[in-house]
Amino acid sequence: MAVCKVCLAWATQLNTIDKGMDKMRHRLLTILLLLMVLVPVAQAVEQIRVAGSTSVLPIVAEAAKHYRQLHPGLSLTVSGGGSGVGVASIDQGLVEIGMVSRELTTSEKIRLQGKVKQMAVARDAVAVAVSKVVYEGGVRRLSLAQIAAIYRGEIKNWNQVGGPDGRILVIDKESSRGTRHVFAKMVLGSETARAPGATIVTGSNNEEQAAIANSGRAIGMLSHAWLNDAVRAVAVGEADKAVLPTFENVTNGSYPIQRQLNLLVSETSGEAGHLFVDFLLSDQGQRLVQQVGYLPVR
Amino acid sequence: MLRFWLSFSALSTALVIAAVLGFLLQASWPLLQSQGLGFVTEPDWYPYEALYGLLPVLVGSFWSVSLALLLAVPTGLAAAILCAELLPAHGRYLLRFSMEVMAGIPSVVYGLLGLWLLLPLLESQLDLLTGRSLLAAGLLLALMILPTIMVFSEAAIGAVVREQRETASLLGLDWSARLLRVLLPQAWPGIRVAVLLALGRAMGETVAVMLVVGSLDRLPQPLYNLLQPAQTLTSRIGREMAEASVGSVHWAALVASGLTLAVVAMALSLLVQRR
Repeated sequence: MAVCKVCLAWATQLNTIDKGMDKMRHRLLTILLLLMVLVPVAQAVEQIRVAGSTSVLPIVAEAAKHYRQLHPGLSLTVSGGGSGVGVASIDQGLVEIGMVSRELTTSEKIRLQGKVKQMAVARDAVAVAVSKVVYEGGVRRLSLAQIAAIYRGEIKNWNQVGGPDGRILVIDKESSRGTRHVFAKMVLGSETARAPGATIVTGSNNEEQAAIANSGRAIGMLSHAWLNDAVRAVAVGEADKAVLPTFENVTNGSYPIQRQLNLLVSETSGEAGHLFVDFLLSDQGQRLVQQVGYLPVR
Repeated sequence: MLRFWLSFSALSTALVIAAVLGFLLQASWPLLQSQGLGFVTEPDWYPYEALYGLLPVLVGSFWSVSLALLLAVPTGLAAAILCAELLPAHGRYLLRFSMEVMAGIPSVVYGLLGLWLLLPLLESQLDLLTGRSLLAAGLLLALMILPTIMVFSEAAIGAVVREQRETASLLGLDWSARLLRVLLPQAWPGIRVAVLLALGRAMGETVAVMLVVGSLDRLPQPLYNLLQPAQTLTSRIGREMAEASVGSVHWAALVASGLTLAVVAMALSLLVQRR
């Protein structure tokens, strides 16, 4: 603020010295100088920036709403981008908290060594989601082998898995997305396995949800919290042991494609981020986790 | 003095271009160092397996831009001729105004229109598994560059001096001869610039293309199949730039994609200016 006063004084001084000159111009100059000083001052307010996985996003967005009310002076911004973005932006110091919906890879762990603390805030199932038409056409269950065959391009028609006649629109996700890592590991055998049967590639949960809903014959991988009437989850497993991605089945471990949702908190950029994560792990925070459709970790 | 300042500004523009190219080259160096120039013709892009082939996106960009130009140049030019020569003042104003409005609509809006209107239409009319395709990208790009072509060409045709028109009339040339022999040849440099600008916009367009192209890193089968999902240079950069960590080979490969785009754009513009 001291700098600001000095500048103001200087600007007013300029104003009085050149009395003969156009007052308007000096007023503009004053405003400009003030802006130049005030904008950085405004930025120096305590801030938490969060970016990354769109699977974790609903939790953090909901928590942020409540947290802002508790801390009115705090600037808290949340944006998506995917787990890859979460890791990259915390690595580059662009955010205080990165959201990641999968485990870190070995190279990421090495890169982030000592820079961040990883905290699990929720559990989630990756649902195998199909279009409503397909679901109502009879596809209620798929085995892991069938799903793999679909993503490898060996099964191309819904009638091969008990559904209506029609080609399968196989939706893959961008390769750095957390949901894809978890899905590919369980279904295709490795986090980074290719999916030669894929028809299109989408990014966020939002984009994928829309693509499945708008098509009458799509299959995709979707965080459990993003299911709705037009986008239905099928049970996963062999005939008598197939399980739906429900809370119970995630908790007792019987649903195979599940994961922890993590936050990466920067160790170098102050307390604010850690306090926010503490809030998420508190009773109130964990209730919010449940409210948006995920399983609490505590 | 004036001459000095003029040449100074011109020189600094040239320097900025050189600096941009230099930066792109420097940032893509890790890739060039490890893979040479071969990546341009490799068919596989898979960062996790250290494969950075650009062939699919080059093919994708080529088809979407060619299709857009193929559709937008004739229609845009026709609209420009109509506007400059045939319409009464009122209609001319209306047409030009609507084109200028079209040119001002942000590209993401075109993308959303494509997502909601174009994709379902293509799906149902062509009986496709998905409307996301090079065809969708090309159609959308055509719509987006149409105003550029129309507005600039119209200005070029309108700028042909009155004496030329009058002389043509006095010589007894009919309308079509006047158009083909006098107006269009006279306006040609302006039209060329219009097409070049449109080409630049079509090549560089990212968001709208990203929403409708399908983003599948695979060569079309066969190569001229425009009905399949594909990827373009820009849509790949748009999808992956944020997740690549700065300095990694993946990052370098994305910058190299940008460099390729810049080089192709410059080469085309040089080629067009030569003629």
